Amino acid sequence: MSSTEQGTSSAAPAEPTTAPESAAAPEVPESFYYVHGKDKVVHKVSAGALQHSALIHGMISNLGYTEEQAKANPFPFENIDGDILQMVVDWCNQHKGKPTPPEDTNLPKQKEKLFDLVLAVNYLEIKELLTYCCKQVAMMVKGKSPEEIREIWMIPTDAEDEAAEKEAKKRAGKEAAGETAAAAGDAK
Amino acid sequence: MRNDVANRRRSFRALKILGILHITVVRTLMSSDLKNLTEKTAKLSIDPIYETNWCDMPAEIKLECIGKMKFNERLSLRCTAKAERSLVDSQKVEIDEGRFGEDNEQSTFVLLIDNKRYFVKDSKYMNDAFELLNYIKKVGDFKTLYFSLGFAVLFAVYERFHTDDGLFTAKEIEFSNGIFNTVVAVLRKIKNGVESIKLRYGGLDSDQLAGILAIPHVQNVSYWHIHDYEGTDSLHKVAQMWIDKNAKLGSTFQVSNYDDGSFAEFLEHLDDRILSKNEQRVRIRTNNADCHILLERGLNEISEIVDFPQYFRLKVISAEMKESEYDNDCKEWICIMDPEVSSDSDNSSEQSDDVHEYDD
Repeated sequence: MSSTEQGTSSAAPAEPTTAPESAAAPEVPESFYYVHGKDKVVHKVSAGALQHSALIHGMISNLGYTEEQAKANPFPFENIDGDILQMVVDWCNQHKGKPTPPEDTNLPKQKEKLFDLVLAVNYLEIKELLTYCCKQVAMMVKGKSPEEIREIWMIPTDAEDEAAEKEAKKRAGKEAAGETAAAAGDAK
Repeated sequence: MRNDVANRRRSFRALKILGILHITVVRTLMSSDLKNLTEKTAKLSIDPIYETNWCDMPAEIKLECIGKMKFNERLSLRCTAKAERSLVDSQKVEIDEGRFGEDNEQSTFVLLIDNKRYFVKDSKYMNDAFELLNYIKKVGDFKTLYFSLGFAVLFAVYERFHTDDGLFTAKEIEFSNGIFNTVVAVLRKIKNGVESIKLRYGGLDSDQLAGILAIPHVQNVSYWHIHDYEGTDSLHKVAQMWIDKNAKLGSTFQVSNYDDGSFAEFLEHLDDRILSKNEQRVRIRTNNADCHILLERGLNEISEIVDFPQYFRLKVISAEMKESEYDNDCKEWICIMDPEVSSDSDNSSEQSDDVHEYDD
């Protein structure tokens, strides 16, 4: 598992522990980059592991950062929860330079985290992990009836959707009327 | 809007949980068992309130997930709400086989999916099977669509396919029996991309063959065959159609019939195009300098299996193809039409069992 430490995106973080490396020591020193999520916890990740993310790989491919520059400029992913980013970093490290297995047993067991992970992985463009996650999402409803699926995934019925839409329109109408009245009052 | 819906769902879920807690608390207080209150509430099995859920996923992710679902789950998801239905319908599932038939005067529609799962519908009335077929049409693409119909329902099939607006997608179409109008009506409802058409019924005559040859799917299909054709004119008519339409390399037509004369009629009609001929093969030129048409008879040392019916194969071949490259094993291609034509009777019975496996 990669170690993390508290830090901020603006300040240079203290020395984080290095992410696990593959058994064979690389001949050429590997470059590292730093990422953090909403919780500002900085993760040190090797360029090799980050290759799984098309988004990050595209960002770093032309940077040519030195170790110091990379440390001073961690990539901020403010839209990703810290624990989710940790999972992504762990997965990238575990699968660094390896062919991705057909089944991944390291996906989160907590279903409520799965959708957050899917969104993060989609944003970071990690194709293989996205495939695994989507399969896991599909497994959530295996053998379920429409009613059960609606319950598990909190899918509103058409009637609920229509009611919500009406309510939203009504609210918007009231707010617009209130604003008009306020504007008229201000004019007086 | 999405946030509104999500918030409303969360509120709904929270209220539901509060309701459960309230009932538990009241019951607990009524029994004056205050000591166990904490323990009981802790044991309540309540699903977590997900901060993020299915409805927060963008459409492309939902589609990716739907793509990983099995057929039954897709159908269930499709029934949850209109929005989910359109998503499911936008990504069709491949159905290995759709077998549309009749058993003891009951229409039967059998689906073979993922090579191991069966989805069977038996209904008393033909219309029920049609409704199911139309429903499946919206959510699936058939790999093989097989029609094995009794004559009692053929007219109903014709009427339905003749008037229905929807189109099927199917790679292989097979009729085990039928009538001309039904075959034409069904073929006209198939989208482009058909790779194989198998007509396995007696009674197709020259006029009907002309009607079938006019169907674009038949003109473009890579492989098709007619089992037990009544006339002797199919070979030269198909060859002429291919010449007129400049059929693609590899296009194949096979036919079996009980009447003599097909081979001779082919020679007579296409005499001016013959490049080479012997007892077993005739090679003719087409209007395309790159392509020739090769006619082969199903003759070999196992003569007893090919006396009756007679088997013929027409194939568009490269003009560069040498005689040494000809396929001398006619049994292989005859078996595509008649699997029982095999010296190995054990294999034959196995294949037959496979075919009837899902008729129960």
